[in-house]
Amino acid sequence: MENEIIVKLENLVKRFPVGKSHFTALRNISLEFKKGEFAGLVGPSGSGKTTLLNIIGSLDTPSEGIATVIGKRINDLSHKAAAHLRNYNIGFIFQTYNLLPVYNVFDNVEFALLLQKMTATERKKAVMEALEWVGLTDKAKSKPALLSGGECQRVAIARAMVKRPALVLADEPSANLDSVNSNHIVQTMKQLNRELNTTFIFSTHDEKVMRYLDRVIQLVDGEVASDELIKHED
Amino acid sequence: MKIFLLKGILKDKSRSLLPIIIVGLGAMLTVLLYSWLKGVIGESIIMNANFNTGHVKVISREQAKTPEQMAIDLSLVNIAELKKELKKNVSDMDWVERIRFGSLIDFPDSEGETRAQGPVIGWGLDILSPNTKERERFNLAPSIKRGKMPSKHGEALISEDFAEKFEVKPGDVFTLFGSTMEGGMAFQNFTVSGTVKFGAQVLDRGAIIIDIQDAQQAFQMPDAAGEILGFFNSNLYDTEKAMKVKVKVNAMFASDTDKYAPAAITLQDQEGMGQYLDYADAIGGILITIFISAMAIVLWNSGLLGGLRRYTEFGVRLALGEDKTHIYVSLLYEAVAIGLIGSLLGSFVGVLISYWIQQVGIDLGGMMQGSTLMMPTVIRTAVTPTTYYIGFIPGVFSIVIGNALAGIGIYKRSTARLFNELEV
Repeated sequence: MENEIIVKLENLVKRFPVGKSHFTALRNISLEFKKGEFAGLVGPSGSGKTTLLNIIGSLDTPSEGIATVIGKRINDLSHKAAAHLRNYNIGFIFQTYNLLPVYNVFDNVEFALLLQKMTATERKKAVMEALEWVGLTDKAKSKPALLSGGECQRVAIARAMVKRPALVLADEPSANLDSVNSNHIVQTMKQLNRELNTTFIFSTHDEKVMRYLDRVIQLVDGEVASDELIKHED
Repeated sequence: MKIFLLKGILKDKSRSLLPIIIVGLGAMLTVLLYSWLKGVIGESIIMNANFNTGHVKVISREQAKTPEQMAIDLSLVNIAELKKELKKNVSDMDWVERIRFGSLIDFPDSEGETRAQGPVIGWGLDILSPNTKERERFNLAPSIKRGKMPSKHGEALISEDFAEKFEVKPGDVFTLFGSTMEGGMAFQNFTVSGTVKFGAQVLDRGAIIIDIQDAQQAFQMPDAAGEILGFFNSNLYDTEKAMKVKVKVNAMFASDTDKYAPAAITLQDQEGMGQYLDYADAIGGILITIFISAMAIVLWNSGLLGGLRRYTEFGVRLALGEDKTHIYVSLLYEAVAIGLIGSLLGSFVGVLISYWIQQVGIDLGGMMQGSTLMMPTVIRTAVTPTTYYIGFIPGVFSIVIGNALAGIGIYKRSTARLFNELEV
């Protein structure tokens, strides 16, 4: 199943209404992502990276074209079916972490599992395992306000990974971090990508992140300008 | 999930404590306003019934044409027989005769010359019989400021303000001037046994209370009285029951063609009490509706702001795979819980304060110096069964409506937009 295609985008077009006219954010995007890929969408602001991630993450639908994610056609999904797809198959990592401030680290990570039918014991085991992946088991009871930016983003990674999704979408995950923390969190994600064979798709213009990518897709004005596989010397 | 949400409510004070305080305040103020209005209206009805109107009043047909004039020459006669008839036919009421009069009283000095003189309104009541309830109806014993209750014929109570103004004290003798039932001059000497303060400006300015038999003697009204008042044994006015009694009593004397034959009228037929009750009900209803609406808008906005503030959280929850409907329903559950807790606390405090004011009252006598209304100067709230739940109306409904409206945004905004608001 190494070559299993989990994301297939065919002639995607996304238009947003602007007054009586509209703005075209994506033009004829056709891409495929295989299981286990560590890929990045790069490009300047306004190039369509986040819009594309939103469609892949079933948070938005294309105006034209077909988006198929883990066997589901995004165009046809109801709110409920899209939520189900995200709940079981897709993890999100945000630029600003977006941890829920009133809950502690454990609760934040556990939340992703509460929507699934799991027992408290199963949830606890999964959460502690996810925190171990990111090296934060000792911070399980801490509130996000007491954590550094890097630690917060590691909690966000644990939250995205705890349900062992097939696909993780990370929108500028290192934008708010210094270089040490940026390297650390990308390394963590790379390690999880290898160990769990999870597909990671980033949107980024951070050089430090790009160094780790196996595939770099350059977007310019909503179009794919280049799609390049990167060979790393391990 | 429920425990997770509950944890959120408890830990996020802006999501729990603040809305609970706002809801609680709203519910408390609603309860206080409601019980205040009920108290003022209720006290006025009781006071008017006890002093003036009874729950049902029997007067002569001529008197019934202008009942507010208290014309002594239009009084009822053969009242002993009439009371017997009334007690026989309407046994669940206490029937008492009274004579109300307007007169002049004159206090002489040691030389017999006029020292002080003034007009008064007076009541001839049964205050000397051992089992009379009239003393309680007029709240006489607690209202005595100086002196004592009349214990024998020829003694009178006068209002304290009048006594102070004319420098009169218990033991002083005065002459009552008036007109008899037949239109002649009436004179009678009385001794002031005590002074009273009723707590209603219209009475405290100048009133006199004498025993009914003394009044009958003074105004030459043997076996006659200006009116016979009927009071329900429960002492609570009931419009429907009063109407039935009125119809029954009038039917008893329907065949009597005498223009002085007895006629029954209810509390609502007298002294604008019907309009007063309707007016009080309408004003009370309007005030409470306005207040509840105002509170609802405040609480609704609170719910709306609370909901809007949480769009980031909703975005995270959507991204993590929670369904929009699930988020919306959980928002409403939270609102119901907050609304119930806030309303419960607010209503509890509101009822406690209302109960306290019901017991001790607030003296507004200073503000009612010129009032001619028979209204109590000590205003009390009234805790009724409605008091216990009225606060829940703005408390629960408005915060739920506020959250429901805020939550509609979850549906109206596209998922992607809600999600993107995470980055704002």
